[in-house]
Order: sequence, then C-alpha cells, then structure tokens
Amino acid sequence: MMADIVFVALSIFAIAGAIAMLVNKSPIYSALGLLITMLSIGGLFALLSASFLFMVQIIVYAGAIMTLILFILMFLNIKEEDLPKEPKKYSLIGLGVLLVLPLNILVLKAVSNLPEKDLNIVEGNFGDIKPVGLALYNNWLIAFELISILLLVALVGSIVLAKKRKPKENKGEQ
Amino acid sequence: MISLSSYAFVSMMLFSIGVIGVIARKNIFVIYMSIELMLNGITLFLVTFARYHFNLDAQVMTVLVIAIAAAEAAIFLSVIILLFRSKKSLDTDIFTTLTQGENS
Amino acid sequence: MNTPLLVWIILAPLLGAILNAGFYFYHIKKQKVSDKIFSIIGTGTPLIAFLITLYLFLQMREEGVIFTQNLFTWISIGDLTIQMSFLGDNLAIFMSMFVTFVGWLIHIYAIGYMKGDDGFGKFFAYFNLFLASMLILVLADNPIILFIGWEGVGVCSYLLIAFYYGNKENVIAGNKAFIANRVGDFGFLLGVVTLFFAVGADSLSFSTIEANISNASTELLVLSGFLLFVGAMGKSAQIPLYVWLPDAMAGPTPISALIHAATMVTAGVYMVARFHFLYSGIENIGLFIAYIGAFSALFAAVIATKQQDIKKILAYSTMSQLGYMFIAVGLGFYSSGLFHVFTHAFFKAMLFMGAGGIIIALHHEQNIFKIAQHRAQLPIIHFTFLVGVIAISGIPPFSGFFSKDAILAAAFQEGEYLIWGIGMFTAFLTAFYMFRLYFIIFVAPTKNVSQHIYTSKTITFPLLVLSIGAIAAGFLNFPAIFGGEAMVDAWLTQLNSNAIHMSHSTEYILMAASIIVAVAGILVAYKKYAKFDIYKPESEEGIIANKFYVDEFYDKIFVQASKKLSTFIDKVVDEKIIDGFIMTVCNEFVSFGKKVATIQNANVRFYAGFMLVGMSCIFVYLYILLGL
Repeated sequence: MMADIVFVALSIFAIAGAIAMLVNKSPIYSALGLLITMLSIGGLFALLSASFLFMVQIIVYAGAIMTLILFILMFLNIKEEDLPKEPKKYSLIGLGVLLVLPLNILVLKAVSNLPEKDLNIVEGNFGDIKPVGLALYNNWLIAFELISILLLVALVGSIVLAKKRKPKENKGEQ
Repeated sequence: MISLSSYAFVSMMLFSIGVIGVIARKNIFVIYMSIELMLNGITLFLVTFARYHFNLDAQVMTVLVIAIAAAEAAIFLSVIILLFRSKKSLDTDIFTTLTQGENS
Repeated sequence: MNTPLLVWIILAPLLGAILNAGFYFYHIKKQKVSDKIFSIIGTGTPLIAFLITLYLFLQMREEGVIFTQNLFTWISIGDLTIQMSFLGDNLAIFMSMFVTFVGWLIHIYAIGYMKGDDGFGKFFAYFNLFLASMLILVLADNPIILFIGWEGVGVCSYLLIAFYYGNKENVIAGNKAFIANRVGDFGFLLGVVTLFFAVGADSLSFSTIEANISNASTELLVLSGFLLFVGAMGKSAQIPLYVWLPDAMAGPTPISALIHAATMVTAGVYMVARFHFLYSGIENIGLFIAYIGAFSALFAAVIATKQQDIKKILAYSTMSQLGYMFIAVGLGFYSSGLFHVFTHAFFKAMLFMGAGGIIIALHHEQNIFKIAQHRAQLPIIHFTFLVGVIAISGIPPFSGFFSKDAILAAAFQEGEYLIWGIGMFTAFLTAFYMFRLYFIIFVAPTKNVSQHIYTSKTITFPLLVLSIGAIAAGFLNFPAIFGGEAMVDAWLTQLNSNAIHMSHSTEYILMAASIIVAVAGILVAYKKYAKFDIYKPESEEGIIANKFYVDEFYDKIFVQASKKLSTFIDKVVDEKIIDGFIMTVCNEFVSFGKKVATIQNANVRFYAGFMLVGMSCIFVYLYILLGL
C-alpha cells in the first residue's frame, strides 16, 4: 500500500522533471529538471530492491554528472543571446510524440503479455552490495577491466580536448 | 498493484521524452541531457527485469552503463566547450560544412 | 573450251596498275623514278592484253570455239553459287579487241600529252586500272562480275576526272560523275536482283539465266529489264542521267578519249546486248530504250550546235552517237548497234586526241574561237581531224556511214518512222555542228598564226593509226547489197539480232536520203562558218547555249532538296528532337538527384529524426506482424 503511493509519487516526479527538461528555454532550468528525475529514478531503484544501485545513482549521476553539467553551464557564462532561437519547438515536440508512439505501443503490449509477478521489496541480500560485487568480479571481470581503461581514456581525452590551444587558432575551428 | 507494466510504462515514458528531446531541441545542452535521460530510462527497465527474473546480471549491467555514462559526460562536455569557443553559439544547426545542398 | 589465258587479258593491265602505283609511291616518298619506266609499264601491259585477245580471236575464227575460264567459287550460299569465271565468247572477244587496241593507242598518246606532269605515274596507274576494270566488265561470265567491272570503271572515271584535284571544279565534276553513275548503279543492282528472283536458278551466269528465263513471269522480266537499263542510262549518259558527261571533260584529254568516248560509255550498250535473251522477250522495254536513245541523240545534237568549248562539243556528240546505238539495240538490232560502237570508238577517240593535241599545242586553250585566233600549223592533226569529222557525219565510204545507215534502216524497217525521222534530223545536225567545229578551228580567216607549237610522235602516231581505222572499219561490215560479207554481223550471230531485209530499192533510197541529209548539214555549216568572223564570237545567251537549263533544274529539285532535308534532319531532328530528348531525360535525372541530395544537409538532428521515422515504420510493421 505504502509502496504504491511512493511509486506513484516518484513516477510523477520523474516524468515531470523530464518534461521540465524538455520544454525549458534556459539550460539551467533544464538541468534542474533532470536532477529531479535522477533522484526520482534512484528512489525507484530502491523500490525495486536494488539498494546498491540506488546509492550509485545518487552518487554518480545526481552527484557527479549533474554537478559537472551545471558547472560547465556556469563556466561558459551563457547569456541570453547565445541561446539558439527555437521557433518551432512545440510543433517538433508534437511530431516527436507522434513518431515515438509506435515503439511505446509495441513495447508495452509486449511487456503486458508477460506473466504476472509480485514486485515487492525483497529481504535478504538480493540487491545488496556484496552479491552485486561478487557477480561483477566473478562473471563480468573483463568488462570491468575494460571499463576502467575507458574511464582512463575519457579522463585523458577530456583534458586533451579542452585545454587552451597554442596560438594556432585554426586548429580549433575544425 | 504495481506490476511490471507500470514500471515499463514509466521507463518508456522517460526514454521517449529523451528521444523527443534529441530531435526537437536545438540547444546542445538539452540534447546532451536528453541522451542521459534515455540512458536512465533504460537502466530503470534493466533493474525492473532484474527484480522480475530475480537475476543480478542486469544490475551489474546497470553499473557498467552508469560508468560509461560518466565517461561520456566528460568527453561530451569537453567537446561542447570546444564548439562554444569556436562558434560562440549553442545552436547545433550552424555546423553545415558536410552538407550536399546549396551552401557547402 | 577452257583456257588459262583469258584471265591474263585482265591481269596484265591490273598488274601494270599495281606496279605503277608502287613505283609512284616510291617516286613521291623516296626518290624520283623516271617517266620512261611508267610509260613502258603503262603502255606495255595493254599491248600484252591486245596480243592475247588477238591470239584468242584468231583461234576462235579457226576453230569456232568459245573460251571460258573458271578461277574459283566466289560465293556459295545455300543453293546459289557464283563463280569467279570469265567468258570469252564472240561478243566478249569482239569488244575486248577494240577496247584493248584503242586503249593501247591512247596510252601511247597519253605519254606525250601528260609529259612533264607531276602525277605522271599516278595517271598511268589509274589508267591501267581503268582498262583492267573495263576488261572485267567485258569478259564477265555473270552479272555480278560484270558489276565489279561496272563499278570499277565508275571509280576510275571519278579518279581520273578529278585528276587535277587542286582545282575545285574538277573535284565537283568528278563527284557529279560518280553520283550520277551511282543512281544508275542502284537501278542496275535492283535489276540483277529482280532477275535473280524472277529466274530462280541456282547460279547467276549468263548461260544459266538464258536457259531458265522461261521460268520467269513477264512482269518481273519487264521490271528487271527496265531497271537494268536505268544502269545503262547512267553509265552511257542518256536522258535523264547524262548530266555528268559534259562536266567530265574537266579531266585530261586522254581519259576523255578513252573513257568517255570509246569504252566506258559503251558499257551500257554492251550490257543490253549481253542481255539480249532478256530484251528480245520484252519488246515494250526495247521500244522504250529506242525512244530514249532517239531523244537523247536529238537533245545532245541541239545543244552541241551552240557550245563553244571544243571538248564539250565532242562530249555532246558522244551522247548523241550513243543515242544511235541504243536505238539499234532497243529495236533488237544488236549487231548493228555494236558495229556502231566499234566504228564510233575509232573516230571519236581520234577526234578527242586531235582536240587534245590542239589544246596542248596552244597551252590548254579550249574555247574554239580563241583557238582559231591563235591558229597553229598542225598538219597531221588537221588531216586526222578532217577524217574524223567526215566519218562522224556519215559520208561514204568512211566507216560512220555504214554503221549509222544500218541503224536508220533498222528503224525504218521496224516501222518506227518517228525514230527514223529523229535520226535523220540528228544526222543533219551532227554534220552541221561537227563541220562548224572544223571550219571555225581550221578554216575561218584569222590574223595571227601561233608559232610556238608543241607536238610529238606519241601524239601523232596514234592519230594516224586510228584514222586508218576510221576510214576502213566500215568495210568490216560491208552490207550485202554491195556484195560485202557483213563480217561483224556474221561474227555476232549468237545475239540473234534482227536483220535488215528490205527490198534493194528501199535500201538504196534510204542510203541516198542519209547522204543528202549529211551533205546538207555540211553545206549549211560551210555557208555560215567558213568565212566566220572569229573575233566576234557567238553569244552565250539563250536556252540552247545554256543546255536547256537542265543542270539548274536538277540542282533545284534534287540537290537543294536533299540539302534542305539533310539540314532539317541535322538541325531539327538530330539536335532538337533526339539530342533534346536524351538531354532532357539526363537533366531530369540530374536535377532529381540534386533534389534528393539536399537531404544531406549536415544537420544531425535531422538525420536522427529520419532514423526515428524509419524505426517507427519498422515498429508499426512489427506490431502488425506480431499480431499483438
């Protein structure tokens, strides 16, 4: 009972945040909307007995990535005139809704054909950090290693891309 | 009461809003955030099915997806800085050097 | 009877042509070759051909055989085989005799005429090639081989008329000759095809056609005979395809003498005689041929009375005499027609060569009034010219009288009084214009006499030999009423010619009538031109002097029309319609492609949107497919 109400509330927050992100002109407001969505999704993870993921979501997504976005936004010192003019925003959104409808109908219909199951919160260590860690290091080791390399590359890459160039300005023009 | 379909509905809504955001908005930040929203929608779906089938592999996949999203954020934002430096605008429609039409 | 010699009559001049051509190439590329070598090859090979012919002729007279020679099977398609073989029967050897003899004499004449010319070797190469082609024509065993020779003489005529190709008019004249001949050749070819179709035999030789001719329906034979005669019209310069002959005088005089007097133009007459088995059965076509001949003779004679160029007068005179020959063969008197061919070859070649001698002596002056103004002392030429003029006018006992009289008597006997009347009037005109020519050039009083005269033995020797022929050849067919043996008629019995059988008194009266007519022509010419004031030449105005404007008429109707048609097809059909259509299709494709290419507008959101559209379609399809 309680879970249902929490679920509905969290869902409304998530979707509202998403729509706010979509519609707003200023990117700061969009970022805030997205932040709300991230937090709501984290709550939904918790409802699904994925406690480790709930924490990872908050820490990484809401804490690191959104912070980075907000940081860059303010770093670039965006003024009103830098923002692009978007005259046909709502008509394009309407068109997008139309285009995305078939996928939704298909997936939801497919999912509704699956057998019913109870999705209450599970006790024990289903989504706990220890079982997830064990699964990660036992079955998904290679992926784990590759991800670490990827993170290294991203680190180096972002520095290389964003550093101040030497006086040859045309290099940045490409 | 809460069934698989409800979670599926929520995650598909988020995913769709992400897709619409990529097509409909010109602001590069909004496009990026829509991409992140798409990823989030999918992770929600993954976790739902992890709980549904009582299998932890989906949760591990979700961890990996989040890690990739982090790496992507770093690169993406660096490129946004580069583009903003060269064109002084956040409009994605002004990059037309690869066009085949009138102005090349 | 088979003999290996027959083909050498043809091969000798052909090899001469090839040798001369080879030497000429060497002459212009590497090192000069002396004229003597060209002359020796050029005159030696026709002499060889004549000697072989003479040998075969004597053998035929002795033993009464016919010679054939089969080289190889040329075409073998289904049931039809065409052999490359030659036939030396009486008719062929008769033609070949005078063709090689007169040809040999004219080759000798050409040595003197073309002396000092740069293209000396080339001339003799072409000349020998012409002789070889003419001999192929004459000795052919079937109409296809005849056609090879027919075309060959046409080509050589073109090459030789346009010999001085630096002058554009000569080239135009050469083209005119070739194209007019082409029209005739087309008719000839259609005629052969029709004949083949009508007869339906398995081989096309003359003997096979003759044997199977009863298979054919009369209509097809009439058509075939008419079409074959169209070829003769072109080659022998009868109305309406005669327009090339006067212009062909642009070539050097030796070729006017040989080709356009003695040999090529008589190919049409020979062809009709060769197809005698065909023409005997279709008398209407024969009558048509006779009428064409009569009108051509009259037409040409009228025009010749007002011409001022010496060679053009002789050209029209040739056309006129050819008309006589066609009167004869059209009415079925093949041997009489061929006898006139024989005598005409002698005196016409002689007249042309005499004219050439005068032209050379006076440095290429061709207008008769100017020639008279600078008259030169050329006794031998004067004498032979007079002989030729008397012969062509038909004064006995010169040869022209016997041959022409035979033709007129034939017309009278067949009841064709219109043709007879035209023939008599044309004889009057012939005497008139030939003596006009003679009087103006040699007799009318002139003030200055030219001193620088060039003539040589090579020019005068052939003239003298031919004059003997012009005088004496008549006796070869001396009519029976005078006690002669009519040897030519006897020789050509294979042709089943009609013979003259009238009462003696009628024959005497007709002969007297033709003599009176000829003398009347001479007297009228004497009265008008013997004391003519050559310093006031006749005007060039008037219909007759302008050749009845036939050339202009043809030009408007045929040449301008085809030019307009070609221009129309080029500019409108080719450029606008065909090119336009193709280019429009191309341009439509290109512009369509350009329109499609605007999709690539480097707008990433646009690409993403399109991908989404595609995916939506797939999802809809999947939904329907899965039947959810």
